[in-house]
Amino acid sequence: MEPTASHNDRTLGRHLPVQKMLQEDAKPTTKRSRNRTVSLDVHSQYRTSMRSRGSTRSPKGTGPSDARISEILSPIPRRHLLQTSESPTWLQVGSHSEADFQARCISPASVTSSVGSVYPYSSSVRKRLASSVFQQLDLTTGGSQTGSSGSTRRDQEDSRHDPGAGRRWVRWMHKQGMKAWVVPLGIATSAWVKWCIGLGDYSGYNTPPIFGDYEAQRHWMELTIHLSPQQWYTYDLQYWGLDYPPLTAYISWLCGKVGSLIDPSWFAFEESRGIETYNSKLFMRSTVVALDMLVYVPALYAFTRIWHRSRSSRTQHASLLILLFQPALLLIDFGHFQYNSVMLGLTLLAVDSFAAGLDLVGAVYFVLSLGFKQMALYYAPAIGSYLLGKCIFLGPIEGTRLFVRLAVVTLSSFIVLFAPFLPPLAPISTFLAAISRIFPFARGIFEDKVANFWCLTNVTLIKWKPLFLGKEGRLIKASAALTIAGFLPAVFGLLWGAYKTRLRSHSRESEARAVSFGTTARTPSPTLPLLLYALLTTSMSFFLFSFQVHEKTILLPLLPLTLLLSGATAGDEVYSWGVLGNVVGVFSMWPLLKRDGLGVQYIATLLLWCRLVGYNPFRLRFDSFVGLLSTAVNIAMLLLHVLELVVTPPNRYPDLFPVLNVLISTPVFGFIWLWSIKRGIEVGWALGGLPGSGTDRGFKDHKDHDDRIPTEVLSGRGPVKSVRREHGARAVSLGHASGLTLAGTSGYRDPRRRAVDRFRGSSVGIDE
Amino acid sequence: MPEEEVVNEHPPRWCSVWNMTRSEIDLLLFSVALKLLLFPSYRSTDFEVHRNWLAITHELPVSKWYYDTTSEWTLDYPPFFAYFEKVLSIPAAHIDPSIVDLHNLGYGSWAVVAYQRSTVILTEFLLGAVLLRFIKGSVNPPRQRLLSGSLFFHPGFLIVDHIHFQYNGFLFAILLWSILMARAGKNLYSGVLFAVLLNFKHIYMYLAPVYFVYLLRSYCMSKSGQILTGRFATLASAVVLVFLASLGPFIWMGQLPQLFSRLFPFTRGLNHAYWASNAWALVTAGDRILLRMVILSNLGIAINEQGIASASRGLVGDTVFAVFPHIKPFHTFLITACVQMVYMIKLWRTPTYQSFLNALTLCGFTAFMFGWHVHEKAVLLVLVPLSLLAADNYAYFKTWMIASTAGIFSLFPLLFTSAEMPVKIVYGLVWGAMTICPLHKQSYEFPPSWPLALLDRLEYAYVVGFVPLQFFFMVFPIVAGENPSIQFLPLMATSVYCAAGLVWAFTRLSVLYFSNAFGTSST
Repeated sequence: MEPTASHNDRTLGRHLPVQKMLQEDAKPTTKRSRNRTVSLDVHSQYRTSMRSRGSTRSPKGTGPSDARISEILSPIPRRHLLQTSESPTWLQVGSHSEADFQARCISPASVTSSVGSVYPYSSSVRKRLASSVFQQLDLTTGGSQTGSSGSTRRDQEDSRHDPGAGRRWVRWMHKQGMKAWVVPLGIATSAWVKWCIGLGDYSGYNTPPIFGDYEAQRHWMELTIHLSPQQWYTYDLQYWGLDYPPLTAYISWLCGKVGSLIDPSWFAFEESRGIETYNSKLFMRSTVVALDMLVYVPALYAFTRIWHRSRSSRTQHASLLILLFQPALLLIDFGHFQYNSVMLGLTLLAVDSFAAGLDLVGAVYFVLSLGFKQMALYYAPAIGSYLLGKCIFLGPIEGTRLFVRLAVVTLSSFIVLFAPFLPPLAPISTFLAAISRIFPFARGIFEDKVANFWCLTNVTLIKWKPLFLGKEGRLIKASAALTIAGFLPAVFGLLWGAYKTRLRSHSRESEARAVSFGTTARTPSPTLPLLLYALLTTSMSFFLFSFQVHEKTILLPLLPLTLLLSGATAGDEVYSWGVLGNVVGVFSMWPLLKRDGLGVQYIATLLLWCRLVGYNPFRLRFDSFVGLLSTAVNIAMLLLHVLELVVTPPNRYPDLFPVLNVLISTPVFGFIWLWSIKRGIEVGWALGGLPGSGTDRGFKDHKDHDDRIPTEVLSGRGPVKSVRREHGARAVSLGHASGLTLAGTSGYRDPRRRAVDRFRGSSVGIDE
Repeated sequence: MPEEEVVNEHPPRWCSVWNMTRSEIDLLLFSVALKLLLFPSYRSTDFEVHRNWLAITHELPVSKWYYDTTSEWTLDYPPFFAYFEKVLSIPAAHIDPSIVDLHNLGYGSWAVVAYQRSTVILTEFLLGAVLLRFIKGSVNPPRQRLLSGSLFFHPGFLIVDHIHFQYNGFLFAILLWSILMARAGKNLYSGVLFAVLLNFKHIYMYLAPVYFVYLLRSYCMSKSGQILTGRFATLASAVVLVFLASLGPFIWMGQLPQLFSRLFPFTRGLNHAYWASNAWALVTAGDRILLRMVILSNLGIAINEQGIASASRGLVGDTVFAVFPHIKPFHTFLITACVQMVYMIKLWRTPTYQSFLNALTLCGFTAFMFGWHVHEKAVLLVLVPLSLLAADNYAYFKTWMIASTAGIFSLFPLLFTSAEMPVKIVYGLVWGAMTICPLHKQSYEFPPSWPLALLDRLEYAYVVGFVPLQFFFMVFPIVAGENPSIQFLPLMATSVYCAAGLVWAFTRLSVLYFSNAFGTSST
């Protein structure tokens, strides 16, 4: 079944089965049993004819046979299927009637989604939806191309946007009937890759006397198993004193204990400093892989299941692959040697929990993440304002209740985490020592060459260090102010979005009903789609503007960026930014990786991942701003690598290449930061108008609904447990605005309304 | 791994030259990426062997190549491989002159590792190209794509080439090319390519009888059995030319005896240090068991005193049986030749491509089973041609499955370092899942009778049995400690268990071959 052939080959012989199929199509009973490939063919034909009909209302410019086809084919098939389909999975994307779709296209709501602007081009949707939507798309965007058939157009699109090897592989696996194998095999392969990266060198390999990050982690294992917790943060600080929060220390203790069982010499007190025996290295590497498998991989899997729950399983699987092989994290954790995946995994578990409506669990996870590595603070503004927004959303009574619960849970988990350093068990000075170790302001504003604002301006405009000599406090304040300014839009967006969509109790009765339905506290806030953008904005803002940033810190903004990317379709905006960010993120760490001797791994992981997501860095793109930017940046990166290979830097500028690296990377990170703010505004708009537009549409205009729709529909959940899955987070964002504006004119067309009505056992009929 | 659906595939222009679909490029790039990651992995002495050969061919004149003894790793491959090393040594000298320094023994800098490892990856592209060509014109292209993919990602190549270090991917590419030519009916090219291959590595001599019979019968003889003298002369002269190109300079210099003494050393024992999983492994294990029984039961059977201390030690050297009669190299050759002869008769009667492929596999199998001092790496000689047969029907599929799992597992002890343990196991499992599951789905037939159904279950049980075996292999050294008398038990168990599977697969394939009437069914 070649779609192209269906266009060209318009012989009678080919039409016969088509007509037959259409006849079958008209019968609702046979609809489900149709062969998909055949119907695809029909579909393409049908689309062609429909477009010609829709745009010109006459078969003008097409041959007589075309006219005949459009007469035969146009009226029935796909829209019919679509509109009669009561499959709950459809509810996520709305019923795609013409009015709906036009509303979508015009409204900025069409670009909203929790994860990426998946809606119009998403292949999963495309696959299921059918012509009515795409016809309309053609009508609004390119209806004039009556000559080209829909199928060839789609092919052109496909060849322009490589769907990626990951998706191809997933598709193949599904076709082979190995659907259940995709996740285990994907995870096993990623574990293989992680382990193989670990065969190489690591930070500080064979560089006595101080070694590097590897020795730091190993030393902490040695430290924690031999000393009491009160001494952890004070013992011999010159040699890799512990400067991570307690959870790291506890996990180090556990690893140290296990390792000592195998061979005590690996963690012998003081004796084992700088030990680099074959087996001890092996043990250290295996701890990273094991912790990653225990925390990060399940978190990723949960993410694809929870955040993409309304997407096809192919998309879920493909997105899992994209996330599993994210090159920056692979290189730093398994090559350079760190345990970032634990911190990121715990944050991700928190985000997953929020999406599942388990705010308290999420809060505990986030506290654990903070307790593992203080760098998780970069996410704190976004997480905090999401939770605060949730409280606002729930209204004064429920909201306060949630707020108190969150406060208690968060505080108590912190206390539990720090218990060994707190007064009953230790003097308060122990705690203060730990805090001063965890938050060191005594170091410089940046280390080495980091692709952030300070370093960039330092090499180009102003020398910050001499300028603020002796006035470091002011520099800290300046960086803090800039950072806060940088993440304020995200915080504001989350809070404002929650305020806009808050549950209003016009009558006590409705709130009571909402409570009785159990929809309040255990639902994600409607601002959930903003959360990932907010995480990106805040962490990028910290990376760009905050004090004491390390180049590895780019991993933090890369996590939400990759999460967003995982749901995007090849070629769209989120995809382009996501891929660019990841590639440049890895590139920005090149000086570090080069120092660690991870050049081959750098090439291999980048190659693997780019192919997986279908990104060809050597392709020139001029179709959009991000396309132009990535073309320029890719050329620059390539040139820099070639230059570095060929030229040795002059003695005057030993840091020439790292500085050039910063010059290339920083603007990209800056643009991503700006873009994330822009997207935040767009998504926020879809939630309920821009701040300042003043009217909350849908509430005031349709007062007859606002006691019902906000509680159940906006919260994304029906009152019945079993339908929770259908009312995913995306239902909240997708077409919310359009759905509400349409509710007045043709309310029953709104799928969520329909769903709600059905869930109530049809107790409420069409009340328009 | 390979993509079945090619409908929506519109590769970019640059690769359409190579006629590759997107998914094929995916596989190529993935394979490169995975193998790049293996650069820092364990490498055996073969790595130094090949580095030394680079140095020999670069620094010495041709006349000294087969005389040099600076390193203990003397050149013992045929001349084409020496020329190949000579070619590789030219860029090496530019990258880092110390790579090709003859006296720089054991040189292991990053430059030499990266260079030699990348030559393996690059020369393996030939394998990819040949496997791609296999897809076009095959009976069932999607299935052949799967088989080609499984061969390109074969764990055997990964273990032996990319970790242990050899150039098997490249050499098997030539063999497969030759087979491809036979499939296309270009028998002359097939013969020439095989002659070339023989001059790269002489281990392929084991397959020579098949080529001889097949080419004689299908190329040099007409259907009615008359010898076509012209064709015979063409083939003979072409092969002779190839050999002249290879051996000519050495014949001219009068070094042929020296060359052959290097190529065929007969000073080694029956079994390799670690027993290759062949019939001799079973015999040796049986000998050990009998020895125990004889000692315990005090029967008056004469025991060879030497034999008590021999085989189980796992040292390089001569294996002496305690109970069984002593085996000499001549015996193994006799057995090998006799068994091969049986297949040759069948091939003579049915000189079709399918029959040829079967006979080729069986010939390799026979050599592996009964050869003298067979190395476990030689199992590739079986697995590669057998893979081409894997999807013919369910019986072939199962033969392939058993032989592949046993054969690949028998390669595991080649990488004894703990860091490579997860590498080989996870890769093997992923590869197995990706190839066995789809092939099983495609070829499954319900066994016709209950004994066969039981056998079917048993065969799957055998494959699953590798899981506890691997577990035993890993746990035993921890439990047993450094006890020298049982230290080799895991290796022995592995060898015997794999040998059982391989012998069974060998039997299966032989039965299949003889029960298959190629002449009537083939086109």
